[in-house]
Amino acid sequence: FFPRGLVLLSVVVASVFVSQGSTSENQRLFNNAVIRVQHLHQLAAKMISDFEESLLPEERRQLSKIFPLSFCNSDSIEAPTGKDETQKSSVLKLLHISYRLIESWEYPSRILGNPNQITEKLADLKVGISVLIKGCLDGQPNMDDNESLPLPFEDFYQTLGDSSLRKSFRLLACFKKDMHKVETYLRVANCRRSLDSNCTL
Amino acid sequence: MMWIDSGTMPLLTLSVFFLLLSPATSTSAPGRPRVTSCRSPEKETFTCWWEPGDDGGLPTTYALYYCLEGSETVYECPDYKTAGKNSCFFSKNDTSLWINYNISVVATNAEGKSVSEPVEVDVVYIVQPKTPESVMVSVLEDDHGPYLRVSWDKPRSADTRSGWITLVYQLRVKQVKEENWEEYDAGMQKYYNVFSLHSGKEYMVQVRCKPDHGFWSEWTTPAYIQMPDFIPRERSMWIMVAVFSAFILLIFAWTMNVKRSSVKHYLLPPIPGPKIRGFDQQLLKSGKSEEVFNALVIQGFPPTTNYEDLLVEYLEVYDDVKQELVLNGKNLPEGLLKSKTMSSDNDSGRGSCDSRTLLMEKCAEGVEESGMEQELSQFGESSWASSDSGEDRENPASPRQEDRKVQTWPPVFSSPQPHHFQQQQPGGTRASYHSVPEISCRSPPGHSSGGQQNRFSKPGFYQYTQMHSMDSIEHKHVAQVPQSQSAEYVEVQTVDPENILLLRPLANAEGHDPELSDFAGEDYSKVRDVTSDNILLLQRDLSGPQYVRDYCQDQSGQVDPCFMQLQQVEQTCKPTNVHLHLPSLMLQDGMRLAGNGYVDSTIMMS
Repeated sequence: FFPRGLVLLSVVVASVFVSQGSTSENQRLFNNAVIRVQHLHQLAAKMISDFEESLLPEERRQLSKIFPLSFCNSDSIEAPTGKDETQKSSVLKLLHISYRLIESWEYPSRILGNPNQITEKLADLKVGISVLIKGCLDGQPNMDDNESLPLPFEDFYQTLGDSSLRKSFRLLACFKKDMHKVETYLRVANCRRSLDSNCTL
Repeated sequence: MMWIDSGTMPLLTLSVFFLLLSPATSTSAPGRPRVTSCRSPEKETFTCWWEPGDDGGLPTTYALYYCLEGSETVYECPDYKTAGKNSCFFSKNDTSLWINYNISVVATNAEGKSVSEPVEVDVVYIVQPKTPESVMVSVLEDDHGPYLRVSWDKPRSADTRSGWITLVYQLRVKQVKEENWEEYDAGMQKYYNVFSLHSGKEYMVQVRCKPDHGFWSEWTTPAYIQMPDFIPRERSMWIMVAVFSAFILLIFAWTMNVKRSSVKHYLLPPIPGPKIRGFDQQLLKSGKSEEVFNALVIQGFPPTTNYEDLLVEYLEVYDDVKQELVLNGKNLPEGLLKSKTMSSDNDSGRGSCDSRTLLMEKCAEGVEESGMEQELSQFGESSWASSDSGEDRENPASPRQEDRKVQTWPPVFSSPQPHHFQQQQPGGTRASYHSVPEISCRSPPGHSSGGQQNRFSKPGFYQYTQMHSMDSIEHKHVAQVPQSQSAEYVEVQTVDPENILLLRPLANAEGHDPELSDFAGEDYSKVRDVTSDNILLLQRDLSGPQYVRDYCQDQSGQVDPCFMQLQQVEQTCKPTNVHLHLPSLMLQDGMRLAGNGYVDSTIMMS
């Protein structure tokens, strides 16, 4: 039994090492994704603040009287809205949600203009999240069938009968909100997965 | 009815009066309240505060209503108590993120109610954490001195561990008595080192934090710390350097002070007073001026010379560029002929081609006669003649027969001349025996002696010609670097009242060349016989007798081929060649016949 135990032990150690290696790579990818989405969120915040500053006072009054202001496309995507909810969700679920959210913005982000290359960044982030999902799955079959759900209506923001001002504001506000959602989810997922990230600070 | 009217009127007025007089409890609807702020400390709950407006004189109640975006349902504040007065606290269950809350406050009193302006809130963006906790400050030591280490803890409510909130920290430091804060960003870490603080001062430290998207928390209560007294290392080093250098300077100054006099002597050396050799200050002080001045007299000054020393033994006359006056090394005395001063070098007096040194090349050069006039002193001319027979008696030991020196003419000249002559000596006339190169380059064809030329007369007179500054006389001839020049035959033109012979070169220069060449070989004449009249008969060289005759005959009516007057120079045979090869020469009184047949004409002159 002793040699058999030894072989088993070595196999376990090897697998641990292998998983550690992949884990570290995964960790790096996770950190990367968090940084990217954080950047996107900051970009969105800046865009909307610039927009609000450029408003004339009457326009501002006009906006404030409107409610709800941000009627987003992503409302159709089920996502945790509180900490407890988020904590209860699995990492995989969070990744899936993040993926869908990013995906839903790929088309409408073209309206936002291209000085900051938002569309490209969204595309890159989507790819990164899919890699993370694959890494999470580790060969397991995908239990979550969210991907089969249809994508949200792509022209959501265009077809609303809003004034152009309102349309612009809504677009920017929704973009900012969704980016923050993804950032939060990824952070939580990241911290949950590993201990050496800066969550313990 | 009258009594009714009169009764009610005062009643009415009274009631009105009473109403008016009663305290102003003019109740009205309440003023509009205002939602001041909503904050969430940990992104899980949030609280909203409002300020009431005018209450309208009646007890007013406030109620907060909100509705979520996307639905029309209006909810009322779940908790009015937890957060204090005029506040509404939303618990975790009531808080949803990424959803806009539309919040408004309604004030109600007996009279009416008023609604505040609605406020739209997204909880995610109103996060303001609590202040950091457990701020600790300590002094640590370092190589460079003490520094402060500040450490703190996150606010308890913030959940950073799960990544729900990411906090960044900031601290600020200032001296207690100062006014300006120094802020430092600490990032996400919970400690910070503060350097470069002043020693002995008391400092206060505060910390605050902020989520990645949200508001800064309040500053913590200040933590006080006292810096110890210390001296910075580099300052202490400078102090040491300064002390050391001051010490060195002090020693230096003291040394200089002690050696004051010698330093002064070194830096400012005393100027020596004037000193006159032989001048005795003591004598002067004693008052005997004569003795003083006698003492100044130096024996032997001015240098008195032996006249004999001043004799010029011979002169070499050069014409034009090719000729130069070459003088004997000694000074020209005044009219002294000296036979003694023969101790010239071997080269002097020699013809150019005979000299031992460098003249061979010069001999090859042709000689041109320049048509310049030359002045010769009268004596010079005569001495030429005499020089034919001149000999260097004083130098019988002259190793070579070629060494023929002619006693020259210095006695010939009147007094001013030597002066001039001497002046010109440095000019370029080689008053030396060494002026070999100036000797003309006529190679004497068949001269037995090798072609010595008696050119002396010419150069000598040449020089004097310069003194007289005849127009054709170029000074340059004298001042020139001696070149090989041929002797040129000159003709005596006039005699100055000063006994200066004015010479003129022969007009027919070319014609004389062959003659001269023939004559070049002969500087000295050999005495054949002495007549009864004390006339020296010179032996003529047979090599070129015809030339001489021709030469003599060329002269205009003054052909005296055989004799020359030595006493006075007249227009005779053109004495271009000093040592005129005359068959005979009159030997004047005073001429001595040397043993070897050469005439020493200098004696004659005296």
